[in-house]
Amino acid sequence: MSCNKEKKIKSLWLIIGIFVLGGIIGLLFSFGVAVGVHKTSDDKFCTMCHTMKPMANSYYRDAHGGNNVNGVRAKCVDCHLPHDSLANYLFEKAKTGLHDVRVQTFGDLESIDWEEKRKHAKRFVFDTGCMSCHTNLQNATSSNTKAFIAHKEYFEKRTDKKCVECHKNVGHHILGDYIKK
Amino acid sequence: MLKRMLFIFLSFGLLSFAANVGDITNVKTLKVDRGLTETGKSCVECHAKITPGHINDWKESRHGHVGVSCIDCHGVKKDNPMAAQNCEGIKGTDIFVSSLVSPKTCERCHPNEVKEFQQSGHARAAIQIQAKEGMKSLMEYFEGRNHPDLKHSPEATGCMQCHGSIIKLGKDKRPTAETWPNYGIGNVYPDGGVGNCKSCHSGHKFSIEEARKPAACASCHLGPDHPDIEIYNNSMHGHIFNSEGSKWKYDSAPDAWEPGDYRAPTCATCHMSGIGNLKTTHNVSKRLKWNVWMPISKTREGGYETAVKDFENGKITKGNALAGNPDGSAAARTEMEQVCVSCHTTTHTKNFFNMADKHVELYNTYATDAKKMIDELTKKGLMHKDKWSDKAFKIWYHLWHHEGRRMRQGALMGAPDYAHWHGVFEVQQDIRELKIIYEKRIKSGKIEE
Repeated sequence: MSCNKEKKIKSLWLIIGIFVLGGIIGLLFSFGVAVGVHKTSDDKFCTMCHTMKPMANSYYRDAHGGNNVNGVRAKCVDCHLPHDSLANYLFEKAKTGLHDVRVQTFGDLESIDWEEKRKHAKRFVFDTGCMSCHTNLQNATSSNTKAFIAHKEYFEKRTDKKCVECHKNVGHHILGDYIKK
Repeated sequence: MLKRMLFIFLSFGLLSFAANVGDITNVKTLKVDRGLTETGKSCVECHAKITPGHINDWKESRHGHVGVSCIDCHGVKKDNPMAAQNCEGIKGTDIFVSSLVSPKTCERCHPNEVKEFQQSGHARAAIQIQAKEGMKSLMEYFEGRNHPDLKHSPEATGCMQCHGSIIKLGKDKRPTAETWPNYGIGNVYPDGGVGNCKSCHSGHKFSIEEARKPAACASCHLGPDHPDIEIYNNSMHGHIFNSEGSKWKYDSAPDAWEPGDYRAPTCATCHMSGIGNLKTTHNVSKRLKWNVWMPISKTREGGYETAVKDFENGKITKGNALAGNPDGSAAARTEMEQVCVSCHTTTHTKNFFNMADKHVELYNTYATDAKKMIDELTKKGLMHKDKWSDKAFKIWYHLWHHEGRRMRQGALMGAPDYAHWHGVFEVQQDIRELKIIYEKRIKSGKIEE
């Protein structure tokens, strides 16, 4: 009887121990992931590869890259990752990250036609990213006829145009001149 | 004395008339401050002196009302393929402009209009010319005599003026003479934009009234192969328009232009306008049951036009000849009937289309027989190598491309003279002639001299 009781207590401690240890490992791990996610989000990380130099340089000349009165800067991922849900954000981050590493290591970097890629900017610039900073765009434009007319169809959801389909150079000041080499 | 006074009065009157004729002279001192940007203002004020015609149109436009100015449409980023600083006022600044304005600019404010347009047959107008070898050889080799210097004139002065062109830029970033100017509806711009809003709305004024009048369509839809304006004039609709159309109201808001504003439809009413429950569309193919321009008419089951999408993916294609309503030809006809019943009874409408459809089907029987003869002659090597000097080919071409289109379009738009005398009457004459040639060649086994 007492033997059984001792066994029970032992296994209870074991379970508690597993939970505590798991919690600690989990915390450490998620801390690591959070730091990792954070460290791989800005221009410093993204420009580690030479390939991204033209994008970075044109970005520094742009309002989104700090060339504005307050020096505020949007990070690369603010535009280039979706902001609708954390899961989607992380998934897309992992997907693009792996793709970039693969192409950077094994791909033929010379053959990439960046001008051609720009035509499909809507695939890698996310409206949810734009809207997570420009939260007041809808209200702000309704009092300005010119800006309102241009955004009316968008906010009324009567067009499937994405932000970058109209705002072509946004984020990168005359990018075309930089990628020409 | 009296004579002298009269003369003075007359000259004074003439002078003051001359001083006020048109608005063009008035805009030369234009000063505007209507929420335009500094650049926008300076464009307007300077161009009022240099190109008063442009500014005059703009100041009468809706764009002028809402503060959309020159730079909003003509301004481009430096890395845009059309970007230039050909204007003295901006040389050396960081402002770049383009004389060409592509639909990619228009769609910033009018995304649906551009999208609908690009889903319509109009969108393939220029692209398909480049995709069809036969068309290119007709323009450059046969009509242009393959002349090293002159061969592009037939397309530049003719075809492209309606169809549009794939616009090319010279080294100075100005469009080449071979590809521009034109008002062609399917223009392809160096930035990849396809379409041309000013084909119907005309440059700088972009008038909704203008586009709603038959004249907007008539500059292209006329002549032996698709006499649509003549067909309209021959119809009762055109008759009413021609007698009282000048008094109608053309500037109601989109979707709100209804019977009452007009007493008979114009081209726009049937093919585009919102009427009753029907929504406005810039897809002119959407209410069409038949394709009536091809050699043999089929119903339009091809969904949307795909030329623009193909072009974006780097392909020059013939487009989708059976583009129409995404829900098929029956849905297209239902939409068109919705237009008709705004003024007519259902019986009237159904009966009209019943017989018009039969006329299209009757045409198809002629075309099928004619095609069979041509195919057989081709197979047996009894057709001239240069088809444009082959009598049989010429008859076949006129049968479908001229007479046959008139027969079908005349029927579907209520024009008796075109459905009959310019249409089926000539088609039945054609097929007799073709048959004589066909039998002669089959019998003798050679092409007659």
